[in-house]
Amino acid sequence: MMAEPLAPIATLQSFAIEITVNGAVWKGNVPAEEVLLDFLRYRVKLTGTKRSCESEVCGACTVLVDGKPISSCSYLAFEADGKSVMTIEGLASGAELDPLQEAFIRNMGAQCGFCTSGQIMAAKALLLDNPAPTYEQISEWLNGNICRCGCYPAIAQSILEAAAEYKNRR
Amino acid sequence: MLQPFRVLTPANIEQASAELVRLGERATIYAGGAELILLLRYGMVHAEYLINIKSISGLSEIGWDGQTVQIGATVTHRRLETDPLIRERLPLLADAESQIANIRVRSQGTLGGNLCFNDPHSDPGTALLLHEAEVVLASKDGLRQIPLSDFLSGMYSTALEPGELLQKTFVAPLPVGWGAAYLRVHRYQRPTLNVAVAAKFQNGAVEDARLAVGCVGPKPQRLSELESKIRGEKLDGARRIFADSKPYLKDSLEPVDDLLGSAEYKIYMAAVLLSRALSQASRSNGRG
Repeated sequence: MMAEPLAPIATLQSFAIEITVNGAVWKGNVPAEEVLLDFLRYRVKLTGTKRSCESEVCGACTVLVDGKPISSCSYLAFEADGKSVMTIEGLASGAELDPLQEAFIRNMGAQCGFCTSGQIMAAKALLLDNPAPTYEQISEWLNGNICRCGCYPAIAQSILEAAAEYKNRR
Repeated sequence: MLQPFRVLTPANIEQASAELVRLGERATIYAGGAELILLLRYGMVHAEYLINIKSISGLSEIGWDGQTVQIGATVTHRRLETDPLIRERLPLLADAESQIANIRVRSQGTLGGNLCFNDPHSDPGTALLLHEAEVVLASKDGLRQIPLSDFLSGMYSTALEPGELLQKTFVAPLPVGWGAAYLRVHRYQRPTLNVAVAAKFQNGAVEDARLAVGCVGPKPQRLSELESKIRGEKLDGARRIFADSKPYLKDSLEPVDDLLGSAEYKIYMAAVLLSRALSQASRSNGRG
């Protein structure tokens, strides 16, 4: 059951925005103070992006804005006006999973899975920036995505394998 | 959820300043938002108005006039980490910027915002003190330029006057032939403490040096007395001076216990990191 925390109790200002979310255009109004995480979860009803630390440390809420990773918990939704947002729901093409998703499943790159969508989106941003990262570069790029189950070796392995798979497909 | 606010979008820096004057403490400057949104959420900052300066032209530019790099207030950390000009002219700053928090914070957060919050656990200030950076503060009445060391006045406080905002930072590269290093120890993606060291060596001895330490007390600081003490010393001698410098560090850095480390630990580690950074600077073959 999903709560609806968005009732604009005392909104002072709203913005008419147009955001492309996973390829589909969303048009409407958002309050100035609404963060992208709430916009995605409660307005667009995409709940794959997770709320966790709400302080830009854990990475669970990572999404891509114009290909760059950001903490959606602390990014105002109106700032994404005219931009393209990609969430975990936008990775697969229909029933066909993205190589990153396949590699995470194959390597068991998750235990509880709560951080996984953030891990995969951070990895996606990395591979967009650098299609052939080393283990060290993966470690640097993902040091802000915390996995309390400690799946880091499997996560890194999954990213290396997905990078190879992207290369094969090109 | 954040408390409701309005966003104002001034067309230029004079308008932004006029809004600051008109609204006083009801308004705050909004650039990247990486720190501001957190502080609004935690109730540490109250603002009815965010003055969005991101679209003011010129503030997101990096420039080079042949002597000094100019960094606009809304240039992000990620850009400073990756920009070819910064990496070539200010490699120490690029290195410090690359260590800030995580890739998301670096993509969103700006240098201007970072300096204006003057959070004591921060990376760029320490590196910029080594470069003797200056900041340009703008108000509707004009501009003034002051040393960063005067701007960073205390814990979460700066020399900004009401109605003033930071426009840009001037950073001169280190002199030719100097080596440099930025080192830190960190927890929770923030530096417990950091040091920046630059030095010129002549026949194995320190000819000149600059030392800065951050996060130990309320603000990052240069250690001018220690800088003079190590002049003329070989590396071993300078390292001994650092090891014996804890009383001086304690006097000058105003160390505080905090969540990231005790005052005693930070003073101990400051001496250790100064030694390590000087060794590293001596090996960097004049690549400041």
